[in-house]
Amino acid sequence: MGVIHYFLGILKGFGNLLGGLSVTLRYFFKKTNTQQYPEERLPLPERSRSMIKLIYDGEKDMFNCVACLMCMKACPNSCIKLEGVRMPDGKRRMTTFKLDFSTCIFCGYCVEACGFDALTFVSEEYENSVYKRGSLLQDEQAMKWVRPAHLKPAEPAPPAGA
Amino acid sequence: MGEKIVGMAAALLHGLYGFLHLSALAPVLDTVVEAVVMFAFVAVFVMFLVWMERKVSAHMQSRIGPNRVGPLGLLQTLADAIKLTIKEDVKPVKRDKVPYFIAPIVAFVATFMGLVVIPFDKGVVVQDLNVGILYVIAITGFTVVAILTAGWSSNNKYALLGGFRSAAQIVSYEIPLVMSLVPVIMVTGTLSLKSIVDYQAQAGYWFVLPQLMAFLIFLTSATAEANRAPFDIPEAESELIGGFHTEYSGVKFAMFFLGEYIAMVVSASVATAVFLGGWLAPPFLGFLHLPGFVWFVLKILFMIYLIMAFRWTFPRLRVDQLMDFGWKVLIPLSIINILVTGFVILKGL
Amino acid sequence: MTDLLLSQIRAGQETQFGTDEYVVNLGPQHPSTHGVLRLVVRLDGETVKETTPVLGYLHRSIEKICENRTYPQCITYTDRVDYVSAMSVNYAFAQAVEKLMGIEVPVRAQWLRMIMVELQRIASHLLWMGSFAGDLGALTPLLYGMRERERIIDLFEMTCGQRLTYNYIRIGGVMIDILPEFVPKCRAFLDYFEDRIDEYEGLLTYNPIFLERTKGVGVITPEVGINCGVTGPALRGSGVSCDVRKKQPYLFYDQVKFEEALGQDGDCWSRYRVRMDELTQSVSIIRQCLDRLEPGPIEAKMPPVLKAPAGGEVYSRIESSRGEMGVYLVGDGTAKPWKAKFRCASFNNVYPLDQLTRGWKLADIMAVLGSMDMIVPEVDR
Repeated sequence: MGVIHYFLGILKGFGNLLGGLSVTLRYFFKKTNTQQYPEERLPLPERSRSMIKLIYDGEKDMFNCVACLMCMKACPNSCIKLEGVRMPDGKRRMTTFKLDFSTCIFCGYCVEACGFDALTFVSEEYENSVYKRGSLLQDEQAMKWVRPAHLKPAEPAPPAGA
Repeated sequence: MGEKIVGMAAALLHGLYGFLHLSALAPVLDTVVEAVVMFAFVAVFVMFLVWMERKVSAHMQSRIGPNRVGPLGLLQTLADAIKLTIKEDVKPVKRDKVPYFIAPIVAFVATFMGLVVIPFDKGVVVQDLNVGILYVIAITGFTVVAILTAGWSSNNKYALLGGFRSAAQIVSYEIPLVMSLVPVIMVTGTLSLKSIVDYQAQAGYWFVLPQLMAFLIFLTSATAEANRAPFDIPEAESELIGGFHTEYSGVKFAMFFLGEYIAMVVSASVATAVFLGGWLAPPFLGFLHLPGFVWFVLKILFMIYLIMAFRWTFPRLRVDQLMDFGWKVLIPLSIINILVTGFVILKGL
Repeated sequence: MTDLLLSQIRAGQETQFGTDEYVVNLGPQHPSTHGVLRLVVRLDGETVKETTPVLGYLHRSIEKICENRTYPQCITYTDRVDYVSAMSVNYAFAQAVEKLMGIEVPVRAQWLRMIMVELQRIASHLLWMGSFAGDLGALTPLLYGMRERERIIDLFEMTCGQRLTYNYIRIGGVMIDILPEFVPKCRAFLDYFEDRIDEYEGLLTYNPIFLERTKGVGVITPEVGINCGVTGPALRGSGVSCDVRKKQPYLFYDQVKFEEALGQDGDCWSRYRVRMDELTQSVSIIRQCLDRLEPGPIEAKMPPVLKAPAGGEVYSRIESSRGEMGVYLVGDGTAKPWKAKFRCASFNNVYPLDQLTRGWKLADIMAVLGSMDMIVPEVDR
């Protein structure tokens, strides 16, 4: 009996090995799944959190930001620094805006906290690598982004605390 | 066809010797030329094999694999080889200098010398020894010395473990490897690879059919001999990082790498000659009239494809299970195979 | 002479040729340990005499950081506690805060959370399957697992915009509602994925080499498992029913039908089997959730600044992909937790490693470690 079991075991093992080989062999002849990145670019989903941009209003020739500091408070890593002044007409305007992308974790709280449609994620720009760490500290000029005409302004952000 | 080409080349070469007044040195020069031609062939072939391995594994894993350097990425290996030769040779300070230096050379030369007796086509063989099979097995067994030396001399714990594992493994798998070839030798009555192929040409069948068991045993032990997965415990990546070649880099690493692939080529060639009819055209495909050399290479590629498919499908065995498998499965099976073959020969069936 | 030496060795006596231990460091940088876990292994030849895990190479003091962040901000850090299963940890923290503050979460948000957590479980198990097979030397399952995981991550990216650290499950609900095309896409994935499970099984489950490597190796007896605090699939492999989803249902796990996958032998193969069964169970759970998804609000009504009651404390637990994930919070009346503590499954799952590997071979450490599904950031936090 032992001898028969010995040979049956070998035979069964051999069969199972062939089963495994058939899986890899099947894939050998199937189409591959690779996307060749620099040539083939997949569009990222619209909601993709790729790069944070400051919205610039071309008509009024100014940023939408009013320096309410909500984004600064919402940021878990304190990577946003911004300053604003009160203009003669009584409205507040942002003067400097700095976002350190080397510490930003792209959680999206700043964009959600913004009640003035001033910050947004742009899904098209996702190649964010730089050669120097310092280049990741971007100011308002680097983050300036004019919303293309075909894109509507985003829905009003959900209430803070979310 | 192959014979004609070799004859023409020899005539041309000897004419050249006469022209240069070097006829007296002809035997020496012949050897040199043969070695150079063989090396060139092997270097190109191994480059192709490395590319093939990467492509085969990639497609098995639904990837594309190398496709940037040259058409279909064919020159990728050349680029890698250039990188390996020009990169810094990092050496451990406390290495044992001489063995550390010699080990990769031995590993490469030992496997390379196995190619001497491989009959690539009718009449195309560097030296048809009458103990060809014995020679191949003996000379490729030398790699274990190289691996053990490399493991010991690098002064690295992983490398040493890898070296010891390799020694244990080759001792266990050399036996089924030889014993799987014994039935064929019993039938043909010769140890020369060329004569074995000739026998198959006369008999009209390949030994893979009557000796399927021996073929499978040979395939398994040859995979183990070449240190290929699932028997790659000497360099088991997940435990020993690189095993015996952990501390090697640059050209020395390339030598080990080349050695592994040449070992694969040698095993596949022996299997082709002994079991798959060498340079003979497969049945029903004889009308293609391809040169025997082409058939031989195609058969080698088929064998190597099988070895690659094993590597990219199966997990690795543990060291004691490897021994178990060698001693408790392969050796008994090959003994039974020898007995059955002997019985059949004796009864004249 | 030789006979004497042999008898001495067999009797375990000191021989003339004294043998030494072979101490090998596996890690912190080593291909087998998934991350920077360091194992100091004392070997006798190939046989393991002792394995000592050395932790702390990936310590980022997330719990301390949480004490200096408001509750919503903490969620972004929970992503990094277990980045392979970020949704689960997101949810674990959100659930603790909701319990602490008594927030009622809308029904739709709960279903959405369940879908996401289960999808995450599949993704995590797929990655585990690949790395486990990789530890044993089979490299192809990793690529297959990654391929399917990619489609789950695409679903996540479509919904919340991130691929690894989602920050999707928020206190009182979820970040944003799913897109209308999410449901059909998710269903299509589930149909596609069910066939793939059979393929993985064909590649691994009954492969004789895989069986040799995993059957009977690293057996966790129920006693050892419970004493060491092992949870999740690692303990269920030993036949101990310990699924928090069944024992203390959260979300709507009491309203869906699913089986708790249980193994028998407690060896590496049983743990593999349990996780493969959980893949099937998760598919069925997600299908039921998709069926019962109804329109509605996705966020609870909450004050703009969340403040925990002073002295309020809570411990809540969920079944994360790796086992029981607990969050302990103490509030002090401010917007920041006074104390946050994560009870992570991986930390306890590493604990019995020494007992499991003693007397086995070096290669078995990789099999046992792999089958435990350990994630170093979760061990060290």
